[in-house]
Amino acid sequence: MKTKTDMNRRRFLKSVTAAALIGTAGALNVPRTAEAGEGKLATLIDLTRCNGCVDRAAPACVSVCKKIKTGRLPEPVDPIPLPFPTRKIEDWSKKKEVGNRLTPYNLIFVQKAEMDIGGDKKTLFIPRRCMHCDNPACATLCPFAANHKFENGAVVIDQELCFGGAKCKTLCPWEIPQRQSGIGVYLKVLPTFMGNGVMVKCDLCSDLLKEGKTPVCIEACPQKAMTIGPRKEIFAKAEELTKKIGGYLYGKTENGGTSTLYVSPVPFDRLDNVIRKGPGEPGLGAVKRQMAGTDTMGKAVLAAPAIGIAAGVAGAFAFVSKRKDRIRKES
Amino acid sequence: MSVSVNEERNRIVRHGLLELTEHWALALSGLVLLLSGLFELPIAARYKIIAIPGFAWSGDFIPSLVIHYVASVVFIVAAFFHLFYHGLLQDRGLIPQKGDLKASIAVIKTFFGKGEEPPFDKYLPEQRLAYLGMAAIIAVIILTGLVKTYKNVYAPDLSHTLVFWSTWLHNIFFVLFILAFAGHIGAIILKPNRPMVRGIFTGKVRLDYARHRHPLWLSGADAPASPQPVQSIDESAIAETEIIMVDNTLAGESGEPPSSPGADTAGVAKMDKTEAAQGANPELPQEADK
Repeated sequence: MKTKTDMNRRRFLKSVTAAALIGTAGALNVPRTAEAGEGKLATLIDLTRCNGCVDRAAPACVSVCKKIKTGRLPEPVDPIPLPFPTRKIEDWSKKKEVGNRLTPYNLIFVQKAEMDIGGDKKTLFIPRRCMHCDNPACATLCPFAANHKFENGAVVIDQELCFGGAKCKTLCPWEIPQRQSGIGVYLKVLPTFMGNGVMVKCDLCSDLLKEGKTPVCIEACPQKAMTIGPRKEIFAKAEELTKKIGGYLYGKTENGGTSTLYVSPVPFDRLDNVIRKGPGEPGLGAVKRQMAGTDTMGKAVLAAPAIGIAAGVAGAFAFVSKRKDRIRKES
Repeated sequence: MSVSVNEERNRIVRHGLLELTEHWALALSGLVLLLSGLFELPIAARYKIIAIPGFAWSGDFIPSLVIHYVASVVFIVAAFFHLFYHGLLQDRGLIPQKGDLKASIAVIKTFFGKGEEPPFDKYLPEQRLAYLGMAAIIAVIILTGLVKTYKNVYAPDLSHTLVFWSTWLHNIFFVLFILAFAGHIGAIILKPNRPMVRGIFTGKVRLDYARHRHPLWLSGADAPASPQPVQSIDESAIAETEIIMVDNTLAGESGEPPSSPGADTAGVAKMDKTEAAQGANPELPQEADK
């Protein structure tokens, strides 16, 4: 993946033109729908095609997701219990309309990147939601197995199990999961001392994938900027598109690899510099895999039973041999 | 079976170096696992544990996991070593025996002044039952922990059913481990059991205590199948005095064949001090351990 290069107006225009042609062809070749709902899936987000739905009140992907997903969250209890000792809650239930960042009621939003390329002002739009990482620390380290990565690649939080401790948000390099206090199972346990709601994020419309249908944001996109399909095909298509437009790929290696690939005519570090970042507004910088530093010791743990068994057998054998020698000498 | 006795210092070797190493490897790594496991819950930042000097790492889940892994290696190696080493040598000293449950209830009653303690072997019946319980808890924690680790390293998309049950069993047995640990500490706080505390630190307990409370151990009547590697425990101190070899063949205060093989005096083959296997020492303050 390229990370840095010079960008000029000619190259940008060349990339966009090429992308438009290839994207159209690609859209014909690659199934936009997850017809094969089973098996490993991936999504391709082509930034040369996304126009942020500037002609609409809200981007189509945002409004359809909000329409489908928002109604699924229960209303929080009133009053929401204040957690001890922080006494801080996160309540988005009265701001459900917010669409310009991630919230428990807004699982996808579109970032705007305005740049000056070769003297011309250019704008790119970047749909953002969970990347559905290949080895997501948010899921593997969930203490209650409420967050899990499924075989199809989707990372899904079970809202019936989640205590809203926000560990997943801490571990996510993009801090994607968002908390809604006052809902969830923690209310039935020790709401003041344990948990603080439910973590919510994009689940890649897992229920629809199981039925062989397409995630609603992908289905609704008028620009056909998003594509879902078998992982190998999507990865090949993303590589091909990147190569042909002389563009850049994001999501293939970030956090150890993800199931979401962005293709852009502009380097992502440059996009990262110009997009607005903050809570609920993730960046586009390089990200090392969170769990990488734990792998060596993890493998040592898996080898520990064999080491213990070998030591035990060797020790017992040595003991018996020693005893036989002693008896032989004594006799 | 040989039992090393130091008459001058009133000591008897209860645990060999190997047993002490196993116990403390499991105990110390278990404590680290308990603490680092707790910090895998999002509690350190919320409850300001990170503000405690030396605990800044507790709010970061990745270092906590590495510490958990390091302690796991020690814990698992020690557990599997214990299982295979003592299993192959057929050590049965801590394996529960028939009637242990009934005997344990009777012993617990004596703590409240009801009845008299029966003569004990090396381990009390409730120690044997507790050993089995702790072994079961540790087995589940290790097996589920291995599944979780495999998932973390190699297969994040492992079957959700397997991950779910491994996680919840790990959590539930983690709580049981804490309760068992608390029970273990509670048991050694009980006055009659306190003389055994020295043994788990130094390997030796008071000889008069052993004679008074563990006569079956001294008699060797129900001794573990394999000898304890006592040579490694303070050999010089033991060498200063006589080593009394106790086995199951001969008995008698004066070296004569015993009238009853199961009596407290059974099993003393070579005896320089005849009171060594007389059971309760008449000079022992009988109430001291009660």
